[in-house]
Parts: sequence; C-alpha cells; structure tokens
Amino acid sequence: LVVVYPLPRLRALLQRCWQRLESGLLAGFSGGQSPPWGPALAVQAPAFLPQPVHDTNESNEAASLLDSILWMAVPKKRRTIEVNRCRRRNPNKLIKVKTNIDVCPECGNLKQKHVLCGYCYAKVKAETRLIRKEMYKQEGGPFNAPTIETVVLYDGEKPTEKDAGKRIIERARKRPSWFAQN
Amino acid sequence: GNACVRGLLGWARPERWLAASSLFPLSCIHTSCTALQQIGKWEKKNRIVYPPQLPGEPRRPAEIYHCRREIKYSKDNMWYLAKLIKGMSIDQALAQLEFSDKKGAKVIKEVLLEAQELAVKKHNVEFKSNLHIAESTTGRGRYTKRIRYHAKGMFGIMKIVRCHYFVKLVEGPPPPPEPPKSGFDQAKEYVQQLRSRTLVNTL
Repeated sequence: LVVVYPLPRLRALLQRCWQRLESGLLAGFSGGQSPPWGPALAVQAPAFLPQPVHDTNESNEAASLLDSILWMAVPKKRRTIEVNRCRRRNPNKLIKVKTNIDVCPECGNLKQKHVLCGYCYAKVKAETRLIRKEMYKQEGGPFNAPTIETVVLYDGEKPTEKDAGKRIIERARKRPSWFAQN
Repeated sequence: GNACVRGLLGWARPERWLAASSLFPLSCIHTSCTALQQIGKWEKKNRIVYPPQLPGEPRRPAEIYHCRREIKYSKDNMWYLAKLIKGMSIDQALAQLEFSDKKGAKVIKEVLLEAQELAVKKHNVEFKSNLHIAESTTGRGRYTKRIRYHAKGMFGIMKIVRCHYFVKLVEGPPPPPEPPKSGFDQAKEYVQQLRSRTLVNTL
C-alpha cells in the first residue's frame, strides 16, 4: 500500500493537462480561422507549421505514457482463497522430508551425511581456541609466528627426538581421546 | 430477631476478606480481559481429567497439549513446518527440524522438547521416544502496524506479523500413513453418495 501526497503529482498532472488543452486550442483555431494572436498572412498557407511537429511530439508522449500505463499487466479479478490455497499447498511448495540424516558414531548426535558433526566440530574448535591462546602468550604479539613447526603436548608428555627443532605448546590437561599423538 | 440479624451480618466479616491472598479470590475467573495474559483454550486442554478406566478397557493413550504464543514469524511460513512434522514420531520430527534452514524450525524444536519434558514429568509418559505428533497447527498472533518510509515523501503501512504454534503429542508409535485414494475409489464413493440420497417431502 503506497499513499501519495497529492500536491506535487497533481500539480504536474494539471500542468500537463493545461498544455494539452492549449495545444488543442491552437490546433482548433488554426483549423477554423487564423489564431487571433498569430500573424495574419495574405496567403492561405497553413500558419501552424512549427506547431504540429512539437504538438504531435507532445501528444505522442502523453498518449504513449497513458497507453503504456493502460497496457501494463494487471490482475483482472481477485484470486479467491481456494485458488490461493491450491497454489500455496501444491506439493512442490511443501518442505521435503530429508533422508540424509544419520547418527554420528563418535558422539551419538545427529549429523547430515555430507557435513561434519556439529557437536564434534564445536568440541575441536574449543580446544583449538585454547591452543591458539597459548601460542599467542608464547609469541607475545601479532605477526610473530616462528618459521618452525609446532607440537602440542599435554599433561605428563615429554618431547621425543623427533620434536627436536620444533616449538612446544603446553596444555595443562589430559590428552583428549580424539587428538592422537604423532 | 437477634438470630436473623446475626445471620444477616454473618456474611459480612471483613477479617475473612483480608485473610485470603487476594481481595476477591473468585472475581478473575470469567472476565474477558485481565491485566495478565488470559489462559488460552489450548492450555486448558491439559487440565481435563478422565474418570478412572474400567479393568477391561484398552489403555487410553496419554495426550499432551503444548503451545507457544506470539512468535515473531509469519503464520503462513510456519504452516509449512507444521505440515512437515504432522504425523511423524517425535524423534524424526526433531531430526528434520534440526537440519531445516527456516527460522521457525528452531522455535518449533524448542516447543517440542518442552512438550516432551512435560510429558515425562507431569503426564505419566514412560518413554520419551514413544510419542508422536497428532496435531500441529499455527494461528495468527497480534499484528502491530508501523510506518515504512519510501522515497519522495511517500510512506506505506507495514504489519509486524506474529503467530502462535500449537502441538498435540500422543503416546504410542505414529499411525501408518493413509494410502492415497485411487480414482476408482473416489468414483465408487461418489456413486455410493448418489445411491444413498432419499426423496424428501414425498410419499
């Protein structure tokens, strides 16, 4: 629902109507007698040469505007609620039942077949966040990441010979079952 | 004389009025609008108490009515979700709603979980998975009108739309889906209807 403040639109419409009236008057006058304010020629030549060019242009514009409004696609009748219901409740518009839901073997929550389990992902994300906080504490500031590998060690784990040149991050908890060592 | 006067004044005992928690304890049952939200018809359906069943009768399955009012969602959009879970078992319904992308799916999932809890705690349901959704519908909530500003000083009036969601859980496995009616069956029914007509106002 759009409501129009009538004044500017009405003014424009009235202006256009007045212009059409004026052009119509002039045409009428020149058709019958010579216009009272135009120069009276001796020769019975049409004194309204320039007018029809600009007159027909204007009338064409106005006519095409109104015509284009008339030719716009518009509903002819109100759609009844029965017709509306048939369209809205058509089976292609109803939500389809998903058959790709399974149970995650790790945690037992539901997961979609082609997507990671939400619970397991959240669990890994939380642990990663804590490891990253430790890394930030070691580095001291942004953009200080060292160019060597990193190893995460939990409670009671010692670095082996393989972890010789690597940066070590300590986490003060038991190693989670899903985070295998090496 | 004295006895009847005493009897007349017997009903007017000011200490009895102030003893109750509210001043007029029976006044607010049947008024149409009170200061607090009135109890809806769906909530009252949980209050019906059946007489005890006779020994030979088959067990009446438990029915749990639950609803949520004034959800900020459209009733037409919510209807699609309600239609999806109608007739499913509660586990299947929760699975479908969890992976639906609609805003109303989250709300309906909360409502179903609340209803499941109510069923187990208050309505003597033994297994929380042994429930199915018998009815699930939406209703129109209270709409508020607001102004929406357009260009060139024009304005429109928009409606802020809310809905209610109602669900009825029944104990037991979900009923098997009805087989779709064939054209032949529909024709047979039509012929049966025509044959069962009687002539009115005649001999």
